[in-house]
Amino acid sequence: MIGKERVLDILKNVISLSSADQTEALFMGEESYLTGFANNYIHRNVGGKDCSLSVRVAIGKKVGSAMVNSFSEDAVKKVVHDAILIAKNQRENRDFVSFAKPEKRKDRDFFVEATANCTPEFRAEYVSKILSKTKAKGFIGSGKFETNALEVAVANSLGVERYTKLTISTLKSVVLTDTSSGYSEFSSVDVNKIPLGDIIRESVEIADKSQNPISIEPGKYEVILTPYALADLIGSLSYIALNARAMNEGMSFLIGQIGKKVVGENVTMYDDGFSQETISLPFDFEGVPKKKVMFFDKGVAKGVVYDTLSAYKEGKKSTGHSLPQPNPYSPYPMNLIMEGGESSKEKMISHVKRGLYVQRFWYTNPMDPRNTVITGMTRDGLFLIENGKITKPVKNMRFIESIATALNNVLELSKEKKIIYDMASVTAPYARIKDFTFTGKTEF
Amino acid sequence: MQEIVESALFAAKRAGASYVDIRSIQREEEDITTKNGAVDAIKHTGSKGFGVRVIANGGWGFSSSFIATPEEGERVANEAVQIALASSKTKLEDAKMSDSKVYQDRVPQPVKIDPFEMPITKKIIILLEADKAMNVQGIVVRKGSMHFSKEWKTFASSEGAYVEQERIVSGAGISVVATDGKEMQVRSYPNSFGGDYQRKGFEFIEEMDLVSHGKEIAEQSIKLLSAKQCPSGMMDIVLESPQMALQIHESVGHPTELDRVLGEEASFAGTSFLTTDKLGTFKYGSDIVNITADATIPEALGGFAYDDEGVKAKRVYLVKNGIFVGYLNSRETAAKLGLEVMGAMRADNWNKMPIIRMTSINLEPGDKTFDELIKGIDHGVLMGTNKSWSIDQNRLNFQFGTEIGWEIKNGKIQEMVKNPTYTGITYEFWRKCDGIANKDFWHVWGVPNCGKGEPIQVMQVSHGTAPARFRGIQVGVLK
Repeated sequence: MIGKERVLDILKNVISLSSADQTEALFMGEESYLTGFANNYIHRNVGGKDCSLSVRVAIGKKVGSAMVNSFSEDAVKKVVHDAILIAKNQRENRDFVSFAKPEKRKDRDFFVEATANCTPEFRAEYVSKILSKTKAKGFIGSGKFETNALEVAVANSLGVERYTKLTISTLKSVVLTDTSSGYSEFSSVDVNKIPLGDIIRESVEIADKSQNPISIEPGKYEVILTPYALADLIGSLSYIALNARAMNEGMSFLIGQIGKKVVGENVTMYDDGFSQETISLPFDFEGVPKKKVMFFDKGVAKGVVYDTLSAYKEGKKSTGHSLPQPNPYSPYPMNLIMEGGESSKEKMISHVKRGLYVQRFWYTNPMDPRNTVITGMTRDGLFLIENGKITKPVKNMRFIESIATALNNVLELSKEKKIIYDMASVTAPYARIKDFTFTGKTEF
Repeated sequence: MQEIVESALFAAKRAGASYVDIRSIQREEEDITTKNGAVDAIKHTGSKGFGVRVIANGGWGFSSSFIATPEEGERVANEAVQIALASSKTKLEDAKMSDSKVYQDRVPQPVKIDPFEMPITKKIIILLEADKAMNVQGIVVRKGSMHFSKEWKTFASSEGAYVEQERIVSGAGISVVATDGKEMQVRSYPNSFGGDYQRKGFEFIEEMDLVSHGKEIAEQSIKLLSAKQCPSGMMDIVLESPQMALQIHESVGHPTELDRVLGEEASFAGTSFLTTDKLGTFKYGSDIVNITADATIPEALGGFAYDDEGVKAKRVYLVKNGIFVGYLNSRETAAKLGLEVMGAMRADNWNKMPIIRMTSINLEPGDKTFDELIKGIDHGVLMGTNKSWSIDQNRLNFQFGTEIGWEIKNGKIQEMVKNPTYTGITYEFWRKCDGIANKDFWHVWGVPNCGKGEPIQVMQVSHGTAPARFRGIQVGVLK
């Protein structure tokens, strides 16, 4: 880690070197380590250090950007020069008004020293415990144990100056048998808070219980989605619906629907980077503090996220959801949270007469974004529920479903939630959903 | 670079490594995007760094850094060995690699027009002219993009390899979104998700002629809004070559990766139905299906001179006359099965350890003309340009959707249909291939965004293919 003082000095130097009307500098540093395992041994064990220094300048309404992964004196001079040269050769961007202006909000670090200083020996020890169990059962252990330490700082010529540190650790276990697989995953800023025992138990138990699956016919089923499966489903909305870009490009199903009931009354969903139920930076990549943005309040559509450009375009304020600019995916909800209910996984199962328990989805992809229709496969645990009990494992199936329809068909939500982190954080409960559409099946 | 190489190799050997390689990359990139008549973004990116891969006490380790100094080379090498020793605590056997010829070589990539010598203003003019051509009433989003990269890569190993190679890539594409307030339809040229990419200079962009195709895709997307839905049922299909590229990628490229087959990607990407007992005997497709992995195609995006283990580029068959005959492999996986290494180890940058990746995976040309493919169909659908894709983690059940389709009746292309989708089981699908267009219709499509691995790596691969015909396919699953 380079440290707050030095990083901010680098950014201030960028700004002082620039002759542009406005200048923004973004620094991201990372020390990332990943211990991968497969076939009951560590097969890929990698890590390293990298950084990026991104400079954006505006000359009038002409904006140019350049990035370099160095902060040497020469590199800093060159990246500023490149950004200005690009801006001079640019056309005017009629939507550009300004980079972000400073806002007061206290920063907060999601940083734990133990995660930042985690050793390969520590990671190998955790992995060994998983593999001891899988070998004892005659199963095959695979997965990853990842520990990352990040530094992010943004400064601009309008007075924005922010710095934060973040650690993230993720342990994933995928257990294979001859006829099945099981899955468990947990992410935390604190590597010591990873519940190793729970991860081993869940992944081994699912793999064990899903051996020798039966094949059932596609059709509409009542489903119980784990937080992994539900996070996949609602996470898709982040790209296709819950942002100003999707609204402007005619893709979001929320166009013309703000203020109207669009999903079930038991669905409340928002983005909140300051929640305790997420893993987050306190500000976005333009230095704007993250604001809580309500998407669905008891089923009623409330709004979407903005970055500075999209906000100015509509005469609004950025909600603090910019990705590193320029970026075709910005703005983007990075801390999606779906509120839970009062139920539990066990109660939900007991309420299903005939349905499916879905541990996880895989390769979900939008087919018709305007109508939130996506397809995907089940993976790593699919079970038939009959008369309130899980009775049989089932071979994997393909689903095609409108996410909005599924969120209108939510029957129950659990109190328990889980944070799923994969570049963005999605926090989701278990959900019981009626009439979920499966259209095909596979051979395993 | 030579000093860092020597420092890292020496330090790793001293720390106990039995094998070491070091790979450094210096890369320059330029991205230009336009949207609705304006330049959306222009970005220039420069990066450099190196990674050290070692085997120590039979375990693998890899570490990397952006600080290119001999001192950092030594630190990174020591860290790689520390990581490898941690790996070795769980080893079931020592990591081994098959023998491979050791090369010392220097391979520049000549291009007609260096894309970084071409002024940005010229690139902007092309994209904005294409944007203007797409400005048809009813279109809500018009997008254009260009990407250029130039890199110099050095690979050295403790076996004595020292290979330097240059890589220059150019790519571009345009797309539109039309909506009537109820639905949206998209069209792209020359392909979706960023267009087409090759290892060529700016001449590749000029050959594409983006401007001339803008109006056509805009009008098609408008027409799609009122087009009838793609029919459903079991019927014959012809896939245009951009969609064939996706079909090959998902249902041949990924399942033939030997690391997947051996379970090494089970945690993320999944495994493969192509178990080792199937090699040499499994009927993958009909007799006319011949699929190669060919990293030697001069301008293909998936091509190179040497892979990231220093193995010289090769052309090998994966499927020959319909029979599955080869895997994409690495020195380690080849050794496990006693196969000849074919050179498919690639990393997307200096800070990633190489894994098995596609090179250029190609469906060899057939003997039909495009018209002959169509003439052979009583009732079916012609489908073009991928819109959506999904496939299970063993690469069996797939479902793909395309931007546009046309109904085929009595051997003739009829009216346009929207939202075409088709689904199947990989080997059943390829066994139903009964016509492949000839070399006149063959094109190598560049796919710049193939994701695989943990940590994720985004690789540039390619697929040479012509349009092809498949009989009795489940079509139109979208209701």
